[in-house]
Amino acid sequence: MGLGAFYDQHPRLILGVASIAVLEGAWELLLTYVVAYNPFFLTKPSLIAAAFNQQIIQGKLWKDIAISSRAFALGLALAILVGIPIGAVMGWRRRVEYALDPLLTALYASPLVALAPVLIIAFGVGLTAKAALVFLLSVFPFVFNTFAGVRATDRVLINVVTSFGGKERDLYLKVILPSTLPYIVAGARLAIGRALVGILVGEFYAASEGIGFAISQFGDTYRLAEMFSGILVLCIAAVALTEALRKLERVVAPWSAEQTSR
Amino acid sequence: MIPYIRAREIGLTFRPKNREPVRAIKGLDVEVGRGEFVTLVGPSGCGKSTFLNIVLGLLRPDTGEVQIDGRRITGPGPERAMVFQEFGLLPWRTVLANVELGLELRAVPAAERHRRSLELIQMVGLTGFERHYPHELSGGMKQRVGLARALATDPEVLLMDEPFAALDAQTRDLMQTELLQIWEKSKKTVLFVTHSIEEAAYLSDRVVIISARPGRTKEIIKIDLPRPRDYEMRLTPQFNDLKLRIWETIKEELLVRAG
Repeated sequence: MGLGAFYDQHPRLILGVASIAVLEGAWELLLTYVVAYNPFFLTKPSLIAAAFNQQIIQGKLWKDIAISSRAFALGLALAILVGIPIGAVMGWRRRVEYALDPLLTALYASPLVALAPVLIIAFGVGLTAKAALVFLLSVFPFVFNTFAGVRATDRVLINVVTSFGGKERDLYLKVILPSTLPYIVAGARLAIGRALVGILVGEFYAASEGIGFAISQFGDTYRLAEMFSGILVLCIAAVALTEALRKLERVVAPWSAEQTSR
Repeated sequence: MIPYIRAREIGLTFRPKNREPVRAIKGLDVEVGRGEFVTLVGPSGCGKSTFLNIVLGLLRPDTGEVQIDGRRITGPGPERAMVFQEFGLLPWRTVLANVELGLELRAVPAAERHRRSLELIQMVGLTGFERHYPHELSGGMKQRVGLARALATDPEVLLMDEPFAALDAQTRDLMQTELLQIWEKSKKTVLFVTHSIEEAAYLSDRVVIISARPGRTKEIIKIDLPRPRDYEMRLTPQFNDLKLRIWETIKEELLVRAG
């Protein structure tokens, strides 16, 4: 297969990788040949790659990654379990919306990371406090997107199902749920980014282990290449999770995945 | 003739919150014989779609009642099915799954609803598109799915709410002719709503003209043209005379509204 044909098949992959490669290359060249840099303040991709190799491939960071992943998964799972039902009820019951909307909007808009010290006082250093912070940051996209999805459900489709003899249960399962699903997936995309921030902040504030703790330790000791290798782990996690979500959307909501990818 | 559908003295006023109530229909009488094709026409906003939703059982009238085969209707029922104006297809369902919807809601076994749906997909000429999603179809194809879905439950009465209004003129002509062919084969009772005089005259046995809002029955015009009808029939003087009669009756109502 020629290069041109390969490009025609995977333009998204190739252009995405290319822009990363250009940035990394420019960064490397700039610091190697143009700027005389102080390794205390700056680092470059080749050094980061070496540190990444040392930390990841040789396994020093794996334990931290595992610890952070637990808090991340726990907080996010809780956010899904709590956020989706709240959003659904807000969408379906006007009074619940009126009662909760101002409160939740205020919380969503405010910088919740400021609550990190409070959570650490309440739950102590460790898994619970971190999971709580992840939950707090990532629950709102689920609430508001589920709410918007339920509210945007086409009245005509409710009428269609009712007219063919559908009961309330059928309306939920055959209309409201599928019509809300793409909104929830979009919410998950926002939630993942916020959850990663939650993990990081939680571990910056108070932790003795975890990827955030490792990053801040490396930073404090001027080991920039190692620090960036930790950040790189987070980048990879974010991209991988977003890609996984895209795949998931294609499975659970093929009608909307195809429309949005165009 | 004892009418199969009998709607008498139907009245309905919408009472939206914080706004003036809107009297949609008042004293609407419609009778449809078994196997008859009756079309309601009238100025926009005259409540003809509202009336169809009452017959479907989605809306309750304030006054009067609708009987089907002598029984008063109180909600949706298996003997009625609607073809919706904007198709009303579930975007997350394939053509096949959309056609199966009504059967599924009536708990028809999977194998049976599959067989029946494929049959109807063939009848409306969509064989080969069973696995397509609605957004991959043209407007005409979408409404074929809507028609197949309504016919799949084998209702006695087909209610059609401006089903071809969203289609381009040529697709519309084609769909009208196909609808007539399907109707002549299946012998369903059809209650059709349109704002197109041409469509009303071409399809119907009788045309019921509804007054400006609040809608009531203004006049009933019998369309005494031979069947089966084809496109060429629309060029005959008799057809144009009928169109003119319908137009003149509706025009009075348009002038009432304007004045």
